[in-house]
Amino acid sequence: MADKRGGDMKVPISPSIPSGNDTVWADVSSLLRLACNDLRSDELISGENFNLFAAMSALEIMDPKMDSGIVSTYYSVDEAIDNGAAPVPLSFDRTIDIQCVIDIMDHLLACEATWHKGGSLAQTVFSCIYLLRPERTSSHALLHSFCRVIRTTCNAVVSAVSDARTNEEEDLFIMAYGLQLKGDGDEKCLSMLHAVEETISRQLKACKAPLSKRRVVEDVEPLQNNLDLEEGYCKAVLCRLRFRKHFYHVLTCLRRPQGKGLELAKKHIVACLSELDSMLKSEEFLRHNCACEISRDGIEDKTTASGCQPVGFDSTLNSRSAAPTPPRSIKLLGWKKAVNYFQKLLHDLDIICSYSLDPVLEYALRFVVDFQKVQPDLVARAYLQFLLVQDGKLYGREPMFVVICKAALLPEGTKNHNIQKNETVVQLGQLLISLLRVLCTNTAWQRRKLGKILQDWRIIYVQLELAFRKEYGDITCTSIDQNVCLKICKNILIWVEEQTYWIALRFLMLGFELELYSPSEYCMVYWYIYVILIKLAEKTHLKMMLNNDSGRRKAKKKRDLVKDMGKDFQIPPAVLLLQCYIYVAEGLMMMLASLRNEHKVFLCLGPFNSEQERFIQHFELLQKVCLPDHASYLSFRETTARARFSTLSMHNCFKDAQRIAKELRANFANDPDRIAELRRIEQVAEHNCVALNLVSRLGTLEPSLKISFEFSHHPHFASAAVKRS
Amino acid sequence: MSASEGMSASEGIEYVSYGGEHHLPLIMKLVDQELSEPYSIFTYRYFVYLWPQLSFLAFHKGQCVGTVVCKMGDHRHTFRGYIAMLVVLNTYRGRGIATELVTRSIKVMMESGCEEVTLEAEVTNKGALALYGRLGFIRAKRLFRYYLNGVDAFRLKLLFPRPEPNYSESRIASEDYTNELADGDNLVPYKSCH
Repeated sequence: MADKRGGDMKVPISPSIPSGNDTVWADVSSLLRLACNDLRSDELISGENFNLFAAMSALEIMDPKMDSGIVSTYYSVDEAIDNGAAPVPLSFDRTIDIQCVIDIMDHLLACEATWHKGGSLAQTVFSCIYLLRPERTSSHALLHSFCRVIRTTCNAVVSAVSDARTNEEEDLFIMAYGLQLKGDGDEKCLSMLHAVEETISRQLKACKAPLSKRRVVEDVEPLQNNLDLEEGYCKAVLCRLRFRKHFYHVLTCLRRPQGKGLELAKKHIVACLSELDSMLKSEEFLRHNCACEISRDGIEDKTTASGCQPVGFDSTLNSRSAAPTPPRSIKLLGWKKAVNYFQKLLHDLDIICSYSLDPVLEYALRFVVDFQKVQPDLVARAYLQFLLVQDGKLYGREPMFVVICKAALLPEGTKNHNIQKNETVVQLGQLLISLLRVLCTNTAWQRRKLGKILQDWRIIYVQLELAFRKEYGDITCTSIDQNVCLKICKNILIWVEEQTYWIALRFLMLGFELELYSPSEYCMVYWYIYVILIKLAEKTHLKMMLNNDSGRRKAKKKRDLVKDMGKDFQIPPAVLLLQCYIYVAEGLMMMLASLRNEHKVFLCLGPFNSEQERFIQHFELLQKVCLPDHASYLSFRETTARARFSTLSMHNCFKDAQRIAKELRANFANDPDRIAELRRIEQVAEHNCVALNLVSRLGTLEPSLKISFEFSHHPHFASAAVKRS
Repeated sequence: MSASEGMSASEGIEYVSYGGEHHLPLIMKLVDQELSEPYSIFTYRYFVYLWPQLSFLAFHKGQCVGTVVCKMGDHRHTFRGYIAMLVVLNTYRGRGIATELVTRSIKVMMESGCEEVTLEAEVTNKGALALYGRLGFIRAKRLFRYYLNGVDAFRLKLLFPRPEPNYSESRIASEDYTNELADGDNLVPYKSCH
């Protein structure tokens, strides 16, 4: 838009900046000035590199939605302090002072929970002026020690999450914006906290002592002035201090190598939960005796137990440093919700601490997958990841090659085999580590990542095959013999395939949890799950069959698997369970296909594309790596195109699933999680059996009958519901 | 295209292709009113100046009651359309205005050689999800806490049919999957609702 006038101008070469080999510095001020005269307000010059990000990065000055500077109360922390925003002490009336300190403690808890839930540290915990100027509180032992332990805890959590970090989406959590997370003497925070706690528990004892004994403890100065309220305030402060102490202990115990601190962490978790209960109990006392006038409206949103607005916080102070996005006002969690958040976090951490650190990969994978079902937040997931992978070993104990040997059902002796030094085998170990890490990330990111790493697992299979062949000749032509090397190669290859199908299955299943599939797509999704399950069962079975020697039985015993595993003529329970899933998936796929074919419901119709395009998009990552071979939209259509209710009732897959699930109960009697899963499968099968019979009997669907698919019994396998509208 | 050329009437609603600077304040007012994300005027200009043919407005008795703003371009060897904003005044929803607006944009994208169309929508925006579902969009990904309000988004995708049977394989094989964050230049989230 700069016109000819600018084009004719001579741009003077600036003598003040020396030119380089390829650069000449020029003064363009006059050119710019002319161009500016040409532009009206709101106009812009669009250059080739002017992209959407550049357009969206523009801020409109003085627009409160965009200009973070405009909404600040103070220009600096010092100005806020000079204006009396964070006095020390908070009041010369010691009762009011203690009330205010408790409000600060509660508000900090709300801030901390909001931060864990995705708010920025600068706008939550570090909106506390006392935290920003730690030296100012040194005369106030209670506030000072509390602020220190908060900062130290934040630092511990940031380092745990950043050490475990595997994805960019949750990066906001660890951004410290140059805030002072570590202060001199913070390592002494626990001893300071302990000293304060001691003093207050003596004060509590003193006020509870009968009059006759009071003389002995007369030298104890009360926490505040009003003796009637002394016990209540002492208790309210104590539970808050003790919660912080135990919580900090939990975090440090969880960081001990090789899961050595888990037992102790569990004890501190119990203590934390009990202190949180005491905090909830103190609410009534604090609300009753608070100094401020509060209405009952919006009590849920209050960030303190008393309901009072805390002194010493300003969330706009750090807004200018809260890059990269323009800061928005954050809605803090209410105090009660914050307490609930910590209860949930502690329960999640308790699940981690209760884990047996089973060296068998299958159990570790199942543990992580089950843990994700309770929808843990970032902090709990980070600590789980730290536990799983340390120093490149499982739990910091088991080298990956040993883990792989066990997973491939190789005998104990193979773990020292030289083959572990092979470069490709080392890479396989790395792939397994990254799989474990990915499984700890949020499920949305996890699914995307799983889809991508499938390619790595397909490639490593080919590379391993080549590497093994190079070292030991053509293994596929040789039958199983005494050669240990051949056995290792063969078993590892089968295990890699099995693991690849496991990843593919998890990828597909997560789609349900993330609500990525619409009911009209369920048919193709269950078809895909069905074909993947068949391959998975095949590989698992093959792996187990290959190990038909005594070494395998020994390994089995150690794994405490079911007793009848030794009987080789029987299908192993692990495979039978997969068979059970296969029947449910097949049943759902065929029921949906029949509904589509006969009743013209759940069809993929749209003005712009067909079902095939939806198929390509949903499964492109699987198709790209031929998982499984020959699976295509065409094969899906071939399987489902002729499905009819009349033929379904002849071969009812749901009945087969029910039968197997019942049979398997005895095999998994010692595994409550598996029993619960079997129960869920049975329920799904039972409900679908009934629905299938009903729809078949009716012949044509009455217009008033609506059939829908719900995840009421199982997160991945839908139950059909037939309702009259 | 002039306003009169692009007009068609259904239930008293007139649909008009973006016709120039006089339409800009109407679009801005509507988006500002109905969506919480703050967009600077440069963002609007970026879209409507580069792809005026992809933006449409819906009028009722002279009042602008709905608009759609889009772009298209190369994205990892794929020519892709992107729906940036879709807004219909609250009181005018449920009358198929959003569907008509977005359908017009998608048609132009298809005619212009786009292979696919994408957008993001809040997981809680049931109305938008149903609308795009009917048009053949799939939920390709879930984006964790995509919006600044902490809500997840779905990335919705509509793939157009391809004439060549082997096209999909060759396209997929050449795609670069290494950098997740470079997935679109829309680093700052958009809300789309109707």
